[in-house]
Amino acid sequence: MTLDTPVVLTDLAIAAAILPLLSFLVTGLFAKPGKGAFLAILTIAISFILSAIVFSQTWNRLDIHQQYVWFTIGNTSFYAGILLNNLGSLMLLLVSGIALLVHIYSTAYMKGDAYLHRYWAHLSLFCFSMLSMVIADNLLLIYIFWELVGFSSYLLIGFWFTRDAAVQANKKAFIVNRIGDLGILSGLMIVFTQFGTFDLQQLLGENGLIINAFVQNGEWINGVHTMPAVWLTVAGLGFVLGAIAKSAQFPLHVWLPDAMEGPTAVSSLIHAATMVAAGIFLLARLFPLFNDTVLLVIAITGTLTALMAATIALVQNDIKKVLAYSTISQLGFMMLAIGIGQYSAAIFHLTTHAFFKCLLFLSAGAVIHEMHHVKQVAPVDFDHQDIRNMGGLRKHMPVTFIAMLVASLALIGIPLTSGYLSKDAILISSFEWAALRGSWSKIIPVTALITSWLTAFYTARLFFKVFLGKNRWRILSPEGHIHEAPPAMRYPLVILALCSTFLIFSVNPLLYEDAWLLRGFPAVESLERINIIHTVIPALVNLLAILIIYFAWQQYARRDKTIFTNRGFFYDFAFNKWYIDNLYQAAIIKRVLNLAAFVRGFDRVIVDGMVHLLAKVGQALATLSAWLDTYIVDGLVNGVGILSKSIGNFARNMQTGKLQHYLLITLFIVITFFIVTYFSLAI
Amino acid sequence: MIPFTHFMLVGAILFCIGLYAVLTKRNAIQILIGIEFMINAAIINFVAAGQYDKDRMGGQLFALFAIVMAAAAVAVALAIILKVYQHYKTIDPDKIDQLRN
Repeated sequence: MTLDTPVVLTDLAIAAAILPLLSFLVTGLFAKPGKGAFLAILTIAISFILSAIVFSQTWNRLDIHQQYVWFTIGNTSFYAGILLNNLGSLMLLLVSGIALLVHIYSTAYMKGDAYLHRYWAHLSLFCFSMLSMVIADNLLLIYIFWELVGFSSYLLIGFWFTRDAAVQANKKAFIVNRIGDLGILSGLMIVFTQFGTFDLQQLLGENGLIINAFVQNGEWINGVHTMPAVWLTVAGLGFVLGAIAKSAQFPLHVWLPDAMEGPTAVSSLIHAATMVAAGIFLLARLFPLFNDTVLLVIAITGTLTALMAATIALVQNDIKKVLAYSTISQLGFMMLAIGIGQYSAAIFHLTTHAFFKCLLFLSAGAVIHEMHHVKQVAPVDFDHQDIRNMGGLRKHMPVTFIAMLVASLALIGIPLTSGYLSKDAILISSFEWAALRGSWSKIIPVTALITSWLTAFYTARLFFKVFLGKNRWRILSPEGHIHEAPPAMRYPLVILALCSTFLIFSVNPLLYEDAWLLRGFPAVESLERINIIHTVIPALVNLLAILIIYFAWQQYARRDKTIFTNRGFFYDFAFNKWYIDNLYQAAIIKRVLNLAAFVRGFDRVIVDGMVHLLAKVGQALATLSAWLDTYIVDGLVNGVGILSKSIGNFARNMQTGKLQHYLLITLFIVITFFIVTYFSLAI
Repeated sequence: MIPFTHFMLVGAILFCIGLYAVLTKRNAIQILIGIEFMINAAIINFVAAGQYDKDRMGGQLFALFAIVMAAAAVAVALAIILKVYQHYKTIDPDKIDQLRN
């Protein structure tokens, strides 16, 4: 059997996606409480191996597309199938690889949780939906698995469902994602109306329908079908809305920081590496559909999100919240890359970011894990996720320290890390993009540049506050001891740390254009290579970033107190997350709740009132007829009875059988007869 | 001349006494006596009314006729009472109830 025949490869890919579903079903249905880890890890490990085989056989080769008739409506057949191109197989490998590491990590991190079987089942379900989504060959399937990803994420965020905050968070994530799903659904409908198919290969492949469709005289023409050009923009914006919701972009980013209520391993897998990348993945898949307007919207959204999330991350104190906002910020960078036409750069950054952000979260998880143990022996209660309570963990957790160091450097984008390569790709491309356009468009690359410096500062702040400086936790918990993470947590960290360096992406640590991953995707908009940008920007970024890191070290590690005050407009603005949650609360949630209260009141008072009134009237009528029945109808019947009974009694009483009574009665009758006759004659 | 009304009053009183005896007494012979009283009250009325028919003496004739009828009736009645007493060992009409039920 040769591995590179298309049928075998698609079968392998299907197996890779289906195996976690198997684990979900078996664990979900049969597992005893606390069990399920072995099956989940086994299936995801096989998935990873299969994905690696598929990836090695499909990368930079012809696209493999296998499909089967799914169902037929009228004359239209719908196909379901597998599309393995560079993007799909890369995502397959990435998702299964990171999922495998997170699974291994979870065995130690989640140890002792009473509902562990539920955790493994849900994690497997998530892996199934995510893996299926990246290899699905048509928009309908993608949409289905997209929803499933959202649902399994809902389950995992609310894993600790006894906490009110977790319940609120998963509800919020679900509702916000619903808004995006609406956008995707409208996009789907427009695309299907125009082209009559959901098939990605037909739409986007060589000589695909979307590529051959064109806009002329304000009409969107496709050879078969024509509709006003505005629908092209609407369809694009619909898909963008979906991506904005899933990838936590402004203004629908609000669910992601709250989603940190889930277990840290889940945050790492879902809210850093895979699920949030689904939005970017969708935009990359559908890239040819977007016209200039939509691309500009994507670029502006991405830039704004990157800046906003970075400013908010500056002042957060919860270790996971800082990482959450940095995720949003980095996703903004990816959106920006798509917006400027460099979706290859976006996918590159998605891949590198998946590794180093996963690593950051897992390291944070290790820290939280240890801090939790410290808290348990502490005489006072304190927030074990608050970085103000940490400090000086370097000596106690050297492996975690080094892992986090590599990840932080990658996040900042220091040379020799993977983050440097991908971030530079985006920054430089954005400057080249702006150079072709008007002066106003310079705002976008400049904002991105500022954001990358902000990133340097908040990352350094987080890192120094946790690992350097004084042991602030000792004051809170003198008995507490911090140990290195257990092996099941440590080894994934080491592997991820290796993946966060330039080694696996490029032979040249300084020049992103050498990265093999970037070459796997066509540069959509061929930008003129401006050499000066390629030298000045990285130098400028890194020089200033290193200064900023040094400054942060001065502030947070050496002196352990800062020149920054917790006052002023900017602090409040960032600390309150740009007041976006408050705005939603006041503008939307409160109104919806008011409306709901009003409708409820209407329902209770008017609708229920009417029903109750009807019931009361019926009751009154019933009482009346009951009364009538008792006293009039029954009364009549009983009256007849009583009457005949009394007549009978009267007549019976006369039959005494005593002779003299009869005589007396006869006498009375005679007398009465005489009296009546007398008086009637008198009258 | 005794007025006609006085005869009528004596007749009425006699009739009422007889009626009372018939209705209240527990002894068949006493009842029979009550009946005789009532017949004699009627006979007095006949005789009194006879003054208005002096030519044919209808009142007196009817009185004699009624006295004969009463004597016959008493004879029959007393015979019945005797037979009743032999049969029931009582002459209280209330106790003679074998025809009931």
